[in-house]
Amino acid sequence: MPSTSRNTIRAQIRNKGESLTPADREALLKPYLPDPADLTNSRSARSSRRSKSKQPRKTPIRTFIKSQVHRLAYALTHIIFGIVVRLIQAYHAVVDRILAIVYHHHRTPELIRKDVRSLKRLPQHLSVILTLRSEDDALAVLMDEVAELTAWCTCAGIAQLSVYEKSGVLKSCIPALHQIISTKLASYHGVSQQPSLQLYAPHHAVHGTPNPSTAATDSIALLLLSSTDGRETIVDLTKTLAEMSQNGKLSPEDITPELVDAEITEITAHPLRNGGSSRPTNGAGTDTGAAGDDLLKPEPDLLLVFGPFLKLDGYPPWQLRLTEMYCTGDRSHGATGDGEAVEYQGFMRGLWHYAGAQMRFGR
Amino acid sequence: MTDSIHLSRLRKWFLASPPIEFAITNLKELLIGALRQGPIPQHVAFVMDGNRRFARSHGIETVEGHNLGFEALARILEVCYKSGVKVVTIYAFSIENFKRSKFEVDALMDMAKVKLSQMAQHGDLLDRYGAKVRVLGRLDLLKPDVLAAVNKAVDLTSRNGDRVLNICFPYTSRDEITSAIRETVEDYSTPLKSTNGASRTPFSESHITHNIRAQNLGTKHHDMSSDSDSISAESSTNEDDPILRNDYPHRVYESGSSFSSSTTLHLGQQDGHPQKGATQGNLPEPAFISPETITRQTLSDHMLTKGTPPLDMLIRTSAVERLSDFMLWQCHENTEIVFLDVLWPEFDLWHFLPVMLGWQRRISKSRQNPEAEGNFAGDSPESSEEDLDARVLRQGKVKGI
Repeated sequence: MPSTSRNTIRAQIRNKGESLTPADREALLKPYLPDPADLTNSRSARSSRRSKSKQPRKTPIRTFIKSQVHRLAYALTHIIFGIVVRLIQAYHAVVDRILAIVYHHHRTPELIRKDVRSLKRLPQHLSVILTLRSEDDALAVLMDEVAELTAWCTCAGIAQLSVYEKSGVLKSCIPALHQIISTKLASYHGVSQQPSLQLYAPHHAVHGTPNPSTAATDSIALLLLSSTDGRETIVDLTKTLAEMSQNGKLSPEDITPELVDAEITEITAHPLRNGGSSRPTNGAGTDTGAAGDDLLKPEPDLLLVFGPFLKLDGYPPWQLRLTEMYCTGDRSHGATGDGEAVEYQGFMRGLWHYAGAQMRFGR
Repeated sequence: MTDSIHLSRLRKWFLASPPIEFAITNLKELLIGALRQGPIPQHVAFVMDGNRRFARSHGIETVEGHNLGFEALARILEVCYKSGVKVVTIYAFSIENFKRSKFEVDALMDMAKVKLSQMAQHGDLLDRYGAKVRVLGRLDLLKPDVLAAVNKAVDLTSRNGDRVLNICFPYTSRDEITSAIRETVEDYSTPLKSTNGASRTPFSESHITHNIRAQNLGTKHHDMSSDSDSISAESSTNEDDPILRNDYPHRVYESGSSFSSSTTLHLGQQDGHPQKGATQGNLPEPAFISPETITRQTLSDHMLTKGTPPLDMLIRTSAVERLSDFMLWQCHENTEIVFLDVLWPEFDLWHFLPVMLGWQRRISKSRQNPEAEGNFAGDSPESSEEDLDARVLRQGKVKGI
């Protein structure tokens, strides 16, 4: 049946729909349509269709059996599915551990650079979604994760990193975070060659040394985002525009995607335009051209979600238009409902994925 | 290439043989019936990606690929509606797609026209789903004949049941958000009609007390009596008179009917003539709703998807892992985004089922453990009950201690 219907549909398309009569089309679509009884009535009435009798006959036993069969099927599929999911998880967990052994950064920028060198392309702007866990030292853990990520990015040659954390707790401790990241960077690169770090958030001043006295020409811009930078920002923009319009300073026709884009970009833009002056010498170097004019991309190229499944959780929507997304997946024990730990191999898998490369066990 | 075609023909022949087909149909029925036993997403969106690539890899015309894609859509719609999904949103055509070759755009438009008029002719068949068609997007970019087909289809299905098929036709999400902002701004910059003197009670008590209080508060606004200045004074006066704002925030902005609804207007014009309010109807001073009343909900209500349940799941096929300007506003909160490594014409129940099962699993987990991450705000009456239970338990514990 499907093949014949396919052929008739094709023939019909060739003739721009004129070769089929309405009745033919009806017959074509019929196998794909459920019986009206399915939708209008509840499950209980469904079995009446089976009896094929004109007058609705009550079949309580059949209905009961049917619902029980469905319930059983539901339980069975979920048991099987659960087992399969667990097996896949276990497999991934093993692979993950192997990768963690094979690829470890050992806090050596050279090693990270070596891992990244073979990639065909690198994101210029990486974004990550992190979750604040519920333990006592959650904030410390989170800040350490941000610091690690920043260090990896500086080593890999990614010029901009933005970190999204829903509650915005990171924004409230920017100086402390800057301190922690600086320490981390020093432990990777050494105190003398420490790359300059600029830490900023929407509506916050830049925190950091734009021009370091050290010889290192490396620099990274770290943007902190929270859920208020998402819909709330667009709402604020609308308020402002509405006020301007009420005062006759703007006509609604002037609101174009370009205007909105410019305004929203402004919010997350780097307040100081003297970002990374020159880029690290990096084998992948596909992005040296754009770095020349000091414009940091407002839209992330790659979004890494450290979590069991891909949920944006309030990430600013406007910037996400063309962002590639990668979820590190449910690797660990599914019992903890919290986000996944941020680990180097997860970061690397994201970069591999972005570059369209396969992960390899050997270096 | 020929090999794979022969093989696939053989497979098709096998699958189309009566006993196998019967078994598969029944199995599908059973699985869908089983799916219905668990929680079901209310709103699912699909990005139908991979038609062109499918055509290329199978050595058929691009248009043919799009046709196969439509068949896949019919299959998946059946599964969705049968299993209880209320709203299905599909990304049929992006504004950016107008940049494709004219031949392909024309072919796609023709196809859309044919399919839509088919749906329109057979409103009866869509009736069986109880689904109405809604077309979201920039309809003004369409050619008149396509637009006519669109309107006809929407018209004919508008009286169907509560299920909805949203077709995003020439659509991008940024355009949608911008339009929502524009419409909101337009709404808010339309002067309130009720400011005409006729519809207003001339001497409202609250108005007079208000003016007296304002007089007592500060005399510095007296010099701002000229009409042109009164607007620019709005923000400063609002900030200067916190008491006024506290007294009149909602009264002024929401009702706006008992008197001219901008406080500053009266402040600017009081000049020791509080009674002037009676004649104020003659002045062409516009009065607006305050922009401060704009919320996320206001914008959501201006999105093209207004009135539909929140998006629970977004599925994109063909392993392209970005949103490509689709449903940005709708999917960035609690939506589960799934990228599948399958081309859209091949997409079937067998690919959809694991996604649904995974979703059900997570939902039931988050219901068991409401505080855990990944909690969905969606349809979870049980979770609130459990919450209550937990609270009761906790109270019990406290008492026990």
